[in-house]
Amino acid sequence: MHIPDGYLSPSTCVTMYALASAGWYSAIKRTKRLLATRTIPLIAMFAAFSFVVMMFNLPLPGGTTGHAVGVTIAAIVLGPAGAIVSISIALFLQALFFGDGGITTFGANCVNMAIVGSLVAFAAYRLIARSSSSPSRRVFAAGVAGYFAINVSALLTAFEFGIQPLLFHDAHGTPLYAPYGLQIAIPAMMVGHLTVAGFAEAFLSAGMLSFFQRTERALLDKGPISAASTVVSPDINRLWLALGLLTLLTPLGVLATGTAWGEWRPSELAARMDAGSSHASIPSGIAKLSGIWTAPFPAYAPPFVRSPVFGYLLSASFVVGILLLSSLLIKSVAGRRDSRDLVS
Amino acid sequence: MPPLFELQDVSFDYDGVPALSRLNLQIERGQQIVLLGANGSGKSTLLRLLNALCFPSLGSVRFEGNLLTRESSQRDEFMLTFRRRTALVFQNPDAQLFNPTVFEEIAFGPLQMQWSEAEVTRRVNETMDLMGISHLRGRPPYRLSGGEKKRVALASVLVLDPEVLLLDEPTATLDPRTQSQFIDLVQGWRDTSKTVITATHQLDIVEDIARSALVMEAGTVVASGSTSEILMNSELLLKTNLIHAHRHSHNGIVHSHPHSHRHSHQH
Amino acid sequence: MSRNSFLFSTIRSFNDAVARSLVSERLSTAPYLLQQFDPRVRLISIFLLILATVFCRRLSILTFVFALSVMLAIASHVSVWSLVKRVWVIVFVFTGLIALPALFTTSGEILVHFPGSLSITRQGLRTALMLVLRVETTATLTTTLVLCTAWNRLLRGLRSLGIPSELIVIAAMTHRYIFLLIETANQMFESRVSRTVGVLGWRQERSITTQSAAVLLSKSMDLSHEVYLAMLARGFRGDIRLLGEQRLRVWDCLGLISIGALAALVIWVGR
Repeated sequence: MHIPDGYLSPSTCVTMYALASAGWYSAIKRTKRLLATRTIPLIAMFAAFSFVVMMFNLPLPGGTTGHAVGVTIAAIVLGPAGAIVSISIALFLQALFFGDGGITTFGANCVNMAIVGSLVAFAAYRLIARSSSSPSRRVFAAGVAGYFAINVSALLTAFEFGIQPLLFHDAHGTPLYAPYGLQIAIPAMMVGHLTVAGFAEAFLSAGMLSFFQRTERALLDKGPISAASTVVSPDINRLWLALGLLTLLTPLGVLATGTAWGEWRPSELAARMDAGSSHASIPSGIAKLSGIWTAPFPAYAPPFVRSPVFGYLLSASFVVGILLLSSLLIKSVAGRRDSRDLVS
Repeated sequence: MPPLFELQDVSFDYDGVPALSRLNLQIERGQQIVLLGANGSGKSTLLRLLNALCFPSLGSVRFEGNLLTRESSQRDEFMLTFRRRTALVFQNPDAQLFNPTVFEEIAFGPLQMQWSEAEVTRRVNETMDLMGISHLRGRPPYRLSGGEKKRVALASVLVLDPEVLLLDEPTATLDPRTQSQFIDLVQGWRDTSKTVITATHQLDIVEDIARSALVMEAGTVVASGSTSEILMNSELLLKTNLIHAHRHSHNGIVHSHPHSHRHSHQH
Repeated sequence: MSRNSFLFSTIRSFNDAVARSLVSERLSTAPYLLQQFDPRVRLISIFLLILATVFCRRLSILTFVFALSVMLAIASHVSVWSLVKRVWVIVFVFTGLIALPALFTTSGEILVHFPGSLSITRQGLRTALMLVLRVETTATLTTTLVLCTAWNRLLRGLRSLGIPSELIVIAAMTHRYIFLLIETANQMFESRVSRTVGVLGWRQERSITTQSAAVLLSKSMDLSHEVYLAMLARGFRGDIRLLGEQRLRVWDCLGLISIGALAALVIWVGR
């Protein structure tokens, strides 16, 4: 799932870095606030585990690579904030020392694996384990949460990968960055993760939780996140809210056009865009989309704001927003149902 | 003048498993004591209690009359001085090597004491010269041998010039030469005002490093006295599992008597 | 024999990882090109060049940047052979594998036609080349930086650039722990392998793996707790203080400005 430099366009990288920064900022604030200083070596330990786990990966043609991450057990033991820091650090070391994942794409990799991965794993674990104190139920929850989290991360990665040829190509239709559209990227990534990597993460998470239940009860009972866990941190809430709001900015007209994502072929799109908006054979949906997007902006707004490409980018954020809002929903539903800390 | 350390009725358990029970102890300034006990007798726990790294479930630990509790560990000024004046060397040197290079490792303590960088650098260089590890300054910890790691671990606490040294199994895993270097170091402290408490189960170095000894078993002190006295009490040593007796042979003669496996003698 | 050889190759790849970081010790103190500059300048320069690579849209300019990064590596005494071994072959295989289908799936002007409606297009070729070249260039740049800079200087440089101390300490500790984990895992693997005679059955191997994993985990958690205590014992109270970096010299500023200008030029010409 690591995306190397060169697969994502600069604008995608910037967007992802912005999202990642929001995630890092709230995670760091939260871990500082807990000031359970024993978390420093603990976070480092989980980062080291994650690093080693991620070293075992398989290339997926049409996508990037498939592997387990270790994010689920980190999220369960350290809480989502601690896990975000932990996995991000593992990814940082991998990018630097082993060229696994690029520097410009570091933001994207962190969003996919560390941030979204942690949040989804944590939320799913909470939902499935509920307030049950049955250890086997929680081990099961860890497994399922791991499987789900890895696949969500993979889907997100596939999405970022797959929109590249759509949006970033030169005048001749050559994709400049990742060359596969969603119709290839999504199956390529998902097959590997739905069948292998997801289960690897599931077994890893379940196995490690079962180990910790037997030998490190203190860590789970009085660990770093037990202090204020049932109360969802305001920072993380704000993060989700902000991302959720992004969906409101998205021109829903994309869906209104009725054109399925996968049916757009880059060269066709490129040719048509280049021919100018007056070309008769532009798909009507796209023309409609351009209209929806550019109309509200007055003539003095900078050109990039008026471009349909910007609109497409925001549609991408729609997907991200949906995923995160679902997690938020899951979490608040789980939160309402139980009044005690789940991880003990 | 209150004793340096005073423990009254101290009990401590890890998750319900008792490690220390009803321990009473007084340690005076300048004493150099060895804590004898087999593994699991509670020596490490005692050292950590003395260094305020954990707190008793029952009873009290006092340093110069001040109670060492979770609450008092929140008082910044008190703790800053306490941490500078007391030092603990862990059994596993890897626990004390978490910085990227040797220099930075030794500099960690002084930096947390808020000393100026110039002062920190000076002290670190001095300490490295003292321990003979200046050539290791830029080395990362994973490129150090066992003996070098121990020396760096020692240096990392000595740089603060502590008055109290708590040493947990300092000679475990050391080769004979490094071991004798360590003994020289401890003997160098003998006539200073440093208080040195060494926990070990290695009987052969005990007489070299301390004049008085405490024997621990199952979380309490079962005997105390001068080291030579204790060492001659084979019954006690046998009972506390510091020596053992089984059939063995040397020079072709098979016999059995209490011994520890680090000695040689003629029959 | 194949099962044991999986164990052996795992051991070997771990050892490889350890060996890798060792080389940087020798190179980072040698008086070559990149080593002349302050680590912060090195960090920013490499980052700017990577940025230029990613912004570049023209194959010709991209090739120029690649050549530039190779020259930078050589001038800093990174051997071409080690680049080939460590970076180029792996990237070529991995990225090549991923990019290969693009030759055929990208629609456009057909260059080579295969029977069965498969064809390589000009656009496909360009895409694949650009992708591979971009990844090779950025990987070369990153590897050069890491090989020429001691890990602790890199961390200190990041600290001076504004990354919070806590993260720096966690990163340093993680780096340390990785090698500890690898060493311990190595020791456990080697002792197990040397104690088993003949091929291991599936069940045995799995139970060995789980047992070893459990022991490894146990030791690691204990160590983590002890490190926390050791930090406390030496005065750590939540706000970590680290050593700072020296001031930048004229030489450093000049280097930074020239690289900045170069990167801007590349982006401009290659847009």
